[in-house]
Amino acid sequence: MKFSFEWLKELVKFKESPEKMAELLTLYLAETNVFFRGKRAIFEVDLLPNRVTDASGHLGLAREISAILNKKFNYPQPKFKEEKKTAKSLITITIKSPYCRRYAARTIWHLKVKSSPQWLKERLKDCGLNPINNIVDAANYAMLLTGQPLHVFDFQKIAFNKEKKKEIIIRQAKKGEQITTLERKTYQLKENNLLICDAKQPLALAGIKGGLTAEVDKDTRLIIIESANFDGANIHLTSKELGLKTDASWRFEHHLDPDLAVYAVDISAQIIQQVAGGAILKGKTDAINYSSRKIIIPINFKTWEKMLGWPIKKQEIVKKLKLLGFSLIERKEYLLVKPSLYRNDIENAEDVIGEVARLQGFDQIPSLSPKERVILPVKNELWEIKEKIKDWLAAYHLEEVYNYSLISQKDRGILAEDWQSKLIALANPISDLFCYLRPTLLLNFLKNINDNFRFTDKIRFFEIGEIYHWETKRKEETVFGGILAKKEKILKQPLFYEAKGIIEGIFTDLGIDKDDYSIKPIEKTEYSSILGKGMALYVKNQFLGVIGIPKKNFLKKYDVKGEVVFWEIKILPLMALEQAEREYEPLPQYPAAIRDVSFIIKKDILIDKILQTIQKNASFLEDVDLFDIYEGENLPFEKQSLSFHLIFRSSEKTLKAEEVDKEMKKIYKALQQLGALIR
Amino acid sequence: MELDQIKTEAEKEISPIVSQKDLENWRVKYLGRKSELSLFFDSLKSLSFQLRKTQGNKANQTRQFLSSLYQQKREDLEKNQPDFEFFDLTRPGEKIKKGHLHPLTLVLREIVHSFEKIGFEVVEGPEIETEYYNFDALRIPENHPARDMWDTFWLKPKVNLPADKQNSKLLLRTHTSPMQIRYMEKHQPPFRIIIPGKCFRFEATDVHHEFQFHQVEGLMVGENISLANFKFIIREVIEDIFKHQVDIRFRPSYFPFVAPGLEVDIKIKSKANDEWLEIMGAGMIHPQLFKNIGYEANLWQGFAFGLGVERIAMIKYGIDDIRLFFGSDIRFLEQF
Repeated sequence: MKFSFEWLKELVKFKESPEKMAELLTLYLAETNVFFRGKRAIFEVDLLPNRVTDASGHLGLAREISAILNKKFNYPQPKFKEEKKTAKSLITITIKSPYCRRYAARTIWHLKVKSSPQWLKERLKDCGLNPINNIVDAANYAMLLTGQPLHVFDFQKIAFNKEKKKEIIIRQAKKGEQITTLERKTYQLKENNLLICDAKQPLALAGIKGGLTAEVDKDTRLIIIESANFDGANIHLTSKELGLKTDASWRFEHHLDPDLAVYAVDISAQIIQQVAGGAILKGKTDAINYSSRKIIIPINFKTWEKMLGWPIKKQEIVKKLKLLGFSLIERKEYLLVKPSLYRNDIENAEDVIGEVARLQGFDQIPSLSPKERVILPVKNELWEIKEKIKDWLAAYHLEEVYNYSLISQKDRGILAEDWQSKLIALANPISDLFCYLRPTLLLNFLKNINDNFRFTDKIRFFEIGEIYHWETKRKEETVFGGILAKKEKILKQPLFYEAKGIIEGIFTDLGIDKDDYSIKPIEKTEYSSILGKGMALYVKNQFLGVIGIPKKNFLKKYDVKGEVVFWEIKILPLMALEQAEREYEPLPQYPAAIRDVSFIIKKDILIDKILQTIQKNASFLEDVDLFDIYEGENLPFEKQSLSFHLIFRSSEKTLKAEEVDKEMKKIYKALQQLGALIR
Repeated sequence: MELDQIKTEAEKEISPIVSQKDLENWRVKYLGRKSELSLFFDSLKSLSFQLRKTQGNKANQTRQFLSSLYQQKREDLEKNQPDFEFFDLTRPGEKIKKGHLHPLTLVLREIVHSFEKIGFEVVEGPEIETEYYNFDALRIPENHPARDMWDTFWLKPKVNLPADKQNSKLLLRTHTSPMQIRYMEKHQPPFRIIIPGKCFRFEATDVHHEFQFHQVEGLMVGENISLANFKFIIREVIEDIFKHQVDIRFRPSYFPFVAPGLEVDIKIKSKANDEWLEIMGAGMIHPQLFKNIGYEANLWQGFAFGLGVERIAMIKYGIDDIRLFFGSDIRFLEQF
C-alpha cells in the first residue's frame, strides 16, 4: 500500500529522511520500502491485516509515526460553510440489510466537474491512483487521507420515491437481479450481495464498485457523497464470488470503524468544495444500524511483567497507551484500558500489552533466559528411525531426493483402476501436472530417472516421505522408498539383488532378523499392477512393503529404458520390529570348523530351498554362506555352480575332523537328492 | 685359516656392506654350514679332549663374535632402511562411493539439533488437515482477510456429498501450526516442542515460490514463559544454526493465533549491505487457543513460532532458486 512521504511529513512535521522513516516503520509497524516518483519519496508499506482498519489512510499512518516518535497527534477538523437548505429535505436513506452498519451522506449543489488541479493529480499518482475528474479525485484523495472508501452519485440521476424525495436504499440483491458497473460490465447477483439502490434500481455494488446508472459525468452539477460502513465478511464473499476486487472492497474486508464514515464524509465534502466549488447543504443524512463497540479491558499491573518477562514502569505503560490514543482509568492494582474505536484489533489484555512492547520496540526489549525446570525431551522414535535410515542409505551410496507430493493427470491415467479409485484429488489444482496426492513414490522416481539419464548412466535415489490414499478415511503413510536404475541392462547380476541387499542391510542395521518378517509373492498385493516381478514383505499378516521391477509397459509410459528396481517399505510396522536393545552374545568357547562345498545344480532349484536342505540335514551347523554363483561358459544353460562356506561349531567341545566329515556326508547326500553334482 | 684371521677378514668384509643381500652372503660365508668356522668345528672331533676343550672355547668365542657382528650389522641396515617402498603421494586418492543427504535434511537436522540441546521435543503431524485445525481453531475464520495469507489446496471429498453434508473440509496443511492445537489437545503444559513438516500453498512456482515447502513449528508453554524468553531462545538457536555469523532483528507482524505477533529477520554479518531476510513468524500464543483447548484460565502462557526451512537452506548454501530442492537433479544433490 502506497503512501506519500511528503503528505505524511505535512501531517506530522518530522525531520527524518525517507530511509530512516521507512526503517522506523519497519521496526515499529510494518515492513516499509522507499521508492521515488521523480524526486518525491513514496512508501510501500506492507500493512498487516489487523492494521488495515486504522493505518491504511495517511492520517492513520501519521498517527502511528507520531506515536513512534513520541509525539502527540491531532486529527485535522473539517471546516466549511453549510447552506441553509437541509439535505434531509431532499434525500432519505433506508438501510434494509444487517450487512450495512452505517450510511452517511452529504449533498453538494452547483459544483463544476473538470480536470483536477496538478497538485491533486500528482498526489493521487504518487499513491498509485489514476486521476479521473475533480469530483472523483477529491473523493479518492479523502479516502487516501482517512482510509474510508467514498462514492459519489449524480443526484439528478437518482430516482424520486413516492414522497418526491431521492431515496437511497441499502438492501440485498433480489433473485436474478443484475448490475452494470462503471466499466460497463454486467454482473449476475445472488441474494447475499449487498446493493445501494434508489427506488427503482441498483446504483452500486455496496463497498465494491459504483454502477453506471448514477455515474458522475462532465455535466453533473449536483452530487451525493456516500461514506458508509459494510460488513467485512459479506464484502469479501461478494468480491470473491464476482471475481471483483477493488481498493474499496479490500479496505471494507478489513472491518472499518463505522464512526470513521462520519468523519470522512465531512472531510471529503470540504475537499470537493475546494476543487469543484459548489454549496454544501446543511447537515448529514446519516442512517445507523449498529451499536458502538464498548470495550474496557482491565489489566492487573502484575500481568505486564508476567507476560513480557521484565519489569515495566506504570508511567511508561500509561505514556505509550496514550500515544496510541487509548483512554485509561488508573486503579490501585488495575489499569482499565479503553482502546480507541479505530483500533478494533485490540480485544484483550495480551493485545494491549503487546502494543506497549511494540512501541518500546521488539528489537529493543530485553532478551532473558527462561527459569524453567530442566526436562529431558522424550525421544521421537519415528523421527529417529527415519534419520538413521537416511544415514544408512547414504552410506550405501544412494542420493536422497525430496520429490513433489503431487502427481499429474497423466500419471493417473497410467495407473490401474484399483489405484485410480483410491487417489486423493485436489479440488483446486494449479495445473494438470500436479493434481493428485502421490499413492506411491514410484511415479516421481521414474520421472527422476528420465531427467537424470542425461547426466549419468546410473541412478541410485531414495526418499523418505508420505504416500496418500483413500481408505474409509484419508490415509497417509510414511515410507522409505528407493530406485536403482542403469541405462544398460547387465544380465549377469540383476540390479534386483543389490536392492534386496540394501533392504537386508537396513534391516540388519535395525536389528531385524530374517525370522521377523516373511516374503510372499507380489502377485497378491496391489503392487502387482505396477511391478512385474518382485517380492512382498510381511510382518505376520501385516503388509510391510515391496521390492520389485516395474512392469515393462509402465516403464515405457515414462520413456525409461534400461534396468530399474524399486522398493517402498512402510516405516511404522518396521518400527515395531526394531530391536531397541541388542543383547551381547558370549564369544564362542570352541573353535569353528569351516568347510566349503561347490556343486552344479539346475537354476530353478531355489537358493532358499538349497539353504533349507543344507540346514535341515546337518548338526553343529552354525552358519551357511553363499559366496559364489557361476553360470556360463563351461556349464549347460539351465545350470549354475554354487559355492557355500559351511561353518560348524559345538558349544560343548572342539569338533574332530571325523565328526565334521560325517556331517558333510549327510549334506552331500541331501544335495545329491536335489540333483546336485558335487564338484 | 686361523680363527683370528677369520675374525679380521670377517670384520673387514662386513663393514662396507649396505644391502640385506650382501649381508646374507656374508652370513653364509662366515656362519653358514659350509663356512670355515663350521669346518673348524667339524675338525675338532679328531682332537684330544684337552685340545678339543681349548680350541672349542676359542671357536665358540669366534662364533659369538661373528654372530654379534652379524646382529649389529643387521640392525644397522634395518635402521637405515626406509619404512615404505616408493609411492607417489601426489596421486589422487581412491574415490569412496557414498550417497548424499538432501540439503533440506541437513538443515532440518541442524535446526532440530539446536532446539534439542535446549530441551525441545520433536513431534510430527499429518499433512492432510481439516479446515478446523488449519484455520478455525487458529482463529482464522472464513471470509476474513487474514485467511488470504494462506492460499490453500483443498481436497476433493471421497464421495461427492453436497458441501453442507461434509463434516470438515479437507486440505493440505498450509503451515505446521495446526499441530499446536492437536498437540495441546492431548498434553498439559509445561512443554516445549518443535514440529518439522511439509506444507503446501496454492501458489505458482518460480525462483522464490514453491507450492510445497517445509516449516519447523515451535511451541513453548509454561507458567511464566515470557516475550523476553522468546527473544532469548530464538536468538540462541539462530546464532547456533548460523554459527554466530548473522545479525538478528525482531519486528512486528500479525498472525491471528498469536498476540502480539512478531517476525524475525536475519542478515549475514559478512554481507552487511544485503537486505534483511525474513525467516520466522512468531508470537505469544493467543489466550483464546488455551481457552478453546480447555486449559485452566490465566494459568499458562508461552510462545509459538514457524521457521521456514527452505529459506534457511537457501541462505546457508547460497541457493538462489527454490525449485532446485524438489527438482531431484543429481548434479545438485551430489553437492551436499
